[in-house]
Amino acid sequence: MTRAYKPGSIIYFENDKSEYIYILKSGRVILTYTKIDTGEELKEEVRQGEFFGVKSALGKYPREETAQTIGETVVLALSLSDFEKMILKNVNVVRKMLRVFSNQLRRLNRTVRTVLGDSDNVNPQLELFRIGEHYFKIGDFTKAIYAFKKYMEYYPDTDYAKLAMDRIRTINSGGTAADSMPVPGQKKSAPDSFDSFSMDDSDGGFSFDDSPPPASGQKGSSSSGFSAGETGSSSEFSSEIDDFLSDSDDDLGDFSLDEPAKPKGSSLQDVYNRAEASLEMNNYGAALEIFREVITRASPSKPNEKRLFIDSYYNAGVCSFELKDLKGAMNYFAEITRSYSDTDKLKGAMFYIGRIFEMAGQGEKALAYYNKVMNMRPRDSINSKAMDRIQALQKNR
Amino acid sequence: MLELDEKFFGRFGAEYSPNQIIFCEYEPGYEFYFIQKGRVRIARIINDREKTIDVLMPGDVFGEMAILEEQPRSATAIAMEHVRVLKFHRDNFDALLQGNPQLAYKLLLIFSKRIYDAKRRLMILLLEEPSLKVMDVLIMLAEQNPQYDFESEISLNSNSQQIASWAGMAEADAQKELTHLTRVGKIDLYEDRVVVKNIRDFQRVIASKRKHMFS
Repeated sequence: MTRAYKPGSIIYFENDKSEYIYILKSGRVILTYTKIDTGEELKEEVRQGEFFGVKSALGKYPREETAQTIGETVVLALSLSDFEKMILKNVNVVRKMLRVFSNQLRRLNRTVRTVLGDSDNVNPQLELFRIGEHYFKIGDFTKAIYAFKKYMEYYPDTDYAKLAMDRIRTINSGGTAADSMPVPGQKKSAPDSFDSFSMDDSDGGFSFDDSPPPASGQKGSSSSGFSAGETGSSSEFSSEIDDFLSDSDDDLGDFSLDEPAKPKGSSLQDVYNRAEASLEMNNYGAALEIFREVITRASPSKPNEKRLFIDSYYNAGVCSFELKDLKGAMNYFAEITRSYSDTDKLKGAMFYIGRIFEMAGQGEKALAYYNKVMNMRPRDSINSKAMDRIQALQKNR
Repeated sequence: MLELDEKFFGRFGAEYSPNQIIFCEYEPGYEFYFIQKGRVRIARIINDREKTIDVLMPGDVFGEMAILEEQPRSATAIAMEHVRVLKFHRDNFDALLQGNPQLAYKLLLIFSKRIYDAKRRLMILLLEEPSLKVMDVLIMLAEQNPQYDFESEISLNSNSQQIASWAGMAEADAQKELTHLTRVGKIDLYEDRVVVKNIRDFQRVIASKRKHMFS
């Protein structure tokens, strides 16, 4: 049914109830509505041939906007059944509307989550495993098995996939949560399958004979994985790092290098070893000075010194972090993510950057980094440390 | 309800037994579902407890967000009894629409309603005082049933846990507000329902609050 309106007429008011859906034939129509989260008044012009009043008519709820004409205007008013008949013949229109609606719904849901304080920053992989754990703990095994199976299907090459399989075996053998393995990430006791790794690692088993990184075959394959995926992702974070470094006037790593006690002519490896010994004794100040000396003396372009150079860079970061010099630490770790993202120190550096953001009270950024670390390979104790941090952060929300 | 022949069911149909998971929260999702038979419970695990968000009936659709976006499932769907569904992959969506325009229309209805519900929820959450949030949840619950006569007493089938969840509050806090409303004679509180004496009164309070919220 066609309806003609004079200029300035109201076709409907906000909060009216009506079943009609309109199509603008000629003239102009302005929709005015109030944004619910800010109270802001928004205006939108309907284009010729466009529908309006669709959602409220279909959903049978009050109009959310006021529709007013400018100039002589003709609209087509459709009842719900007219509208249904019309769109049944024109599926493309429906598809377009669905796209618009789905975008609106997604935006709304995001706002709702923000208002509720839910974070978008959860790690779906971890959460899926936890769903399985939940049902496992309460003894709802049908559901636990479903979640664990899905976990194994989507994330097959992970240590958690192994755990998921163990859980399924436990269930199938009639076991219960009580006699199960420890839940990963909730305690320090990581499963044995994790490589042992700690920041003050003393294994230091490199020598001049070591081939330059990527070193061992296993790590070689995974570090090429980094360079494809993770290098790009670390650069996506780099602006945040720059922000962090620039938003304070602290001097960066302002350590005087006066007379580090070192016999001249000692080999770089010896110097490095002394630094590491200090680090092991938690003597961070002394260790930092010596690591800095290695950094000055070593040349990353020489294959046999590159390893020492990068390890010193990393350890200097660890020392600075322990000394609560967050800026200094950030500089060291950021350099690793920028220039040495193809080495096995990348993950540790990313983890520490997370720690730095966390210490600086920037939980969201910290979470982003921990989530990255969670998904990096090879899986080792750094991954589980990252998960510990994620859980701790989410608990404090 | 969608009228589809058995051939269609053979291609897209799936069946689930009682307590079986159809999809799980945080699982990647590419399919959406139409319930043909049986009820489906939508649940989320919140603070280590499984909470039912919704119970869906034959004719209802779920998982529809997977049509247009690639996000993990935001809730778990569990068959409550023997359930029969039609299950569509997003890749078949266009073909499906062409062949079944009535399904397209149905999806429009569903999205319209979901958008309104989300907006309505947001309006509740944006109120600051807990007492107002609880009042507005009661109004919303009343609005959902067009059969109610707003000029007389209204009995809402809802408990304090559901009201708390709508209001985004801890159950204890919602309970406190409901107890207060009972004490001042605005509502009667039962285990499984709330009787509101004068819903117009609540509407006036909330409308006036909203009017001044941004000024």
